[in-house]
Amino acid sequence: MNDFSELESELKKLRPAQPSAGLMSRVGSALADARESTAKVIRPQQFRINWLGLGLGLAAAATFLIFARVDFRPTDKTKQTVASATPFLQQKAAALPNYQATGLTQVVYSKRDEGLVFSPNAEAPSRRVRTAKRETLRWRDRRSGAQLAVSYPTEEVTLIPVSGQ
Amino acid sequence: MENVATHEDWKVCFSELAPGLVLFARQWVGSAADAEDVVQDAFVRFWRRNLSIKNRALLYAAVRSAALDLIRRDTRRARREAEVFGRAERSVQPQFEQLDDSQRELVAALDRLSRDQREVLVMKIWIELTFAEIAEALGISQNTAASRYRYALAALKKTFQPQ
Repeated sequence: MNDFSELESELKKLRPAQPSAGLMSRVGSALADARESTAKVIRPQQFRINWLGLGLGLAAAATFLIFARVDFRPTDKTKQTVASATPFLQQKAAALPNYQATGLTQVVYSKRDEGLVFSPNAEAPSRRVRTAKRETLRWRDRRSGAQLAVSYPTEEVTLIPVSGQ
Repeated sequence: MENVATHEDWKVCFSELAPGLVLFARQWVGSAADAEDVVQDAFVRFWRRNLSIKNRALLYAAVRSAALDLIRRDTRRARREAEVFGRAERSVQPQFEQLDDSQRELVAALDRLSRDQREVLVMKIWIELTFAEIAEALGISQNTAASRYRYALAALKKTFQPQ
């Protein structure tokens, strides 16, 4: 027995109020809806399309294309489509054997704890941390010393398992 | 393992848990209606994930998480958090049935506890979780949970004498 046993028994005499009658039916409806429609599962934020990031990424890619076309290629091939941006970049890189990657810089300018999330099929909740960075890639021409840099924003979402909380 | 999702009569399960869940949710939200919304959200999340109903720590962690989500997703987040946590420190009372004068005095003393202490007290007295389960649900050590419980009782004892 401890010094608080009498107080504990007094506390236990207090009975929590019953929830409203409507709660049971609302939970029942929600469970039925969840059973019927898996489409209601909310997709985690990290799998949604980040339009801002996508736009900035495309802008960075376009900037790179302009640099590559103006500075390093003859003007015979001027018609390229956006859809072929990646193969075009690869062709350009292959056509520039003198250029050598010289560095990658990552600057973290924002790190935000977004709280707890419950991932599908996870036994325990996780803490979601969103990190915004700017990455800069640099190349250098071994002959002329000319340098090329491409900078673009990135966003990284990390899930850190937590115990219970 | 018993599971909410496969439980044939979830109503029995929920009706046993609901008063404690709502009482627990009231630690963070200002009204009984909000507390019920939080409980509904958390219970349905739990059900969808096929989690074991025996894992009470995780169930209460889900309620706590849903309560904090409710606070955060409001567009006036900062102001509302300040209001809610301010109220939680001072004036959110657990809801109890049919109080006599002595019990009202006890509830008033409960209301004067810090949020951390009241949270552990609610989980221990009315939900009957072990210190290990409380520690898991709140992300604290068992010693911390036990200490908060003792401090809460000591604080209550100073202001309330059982008749």
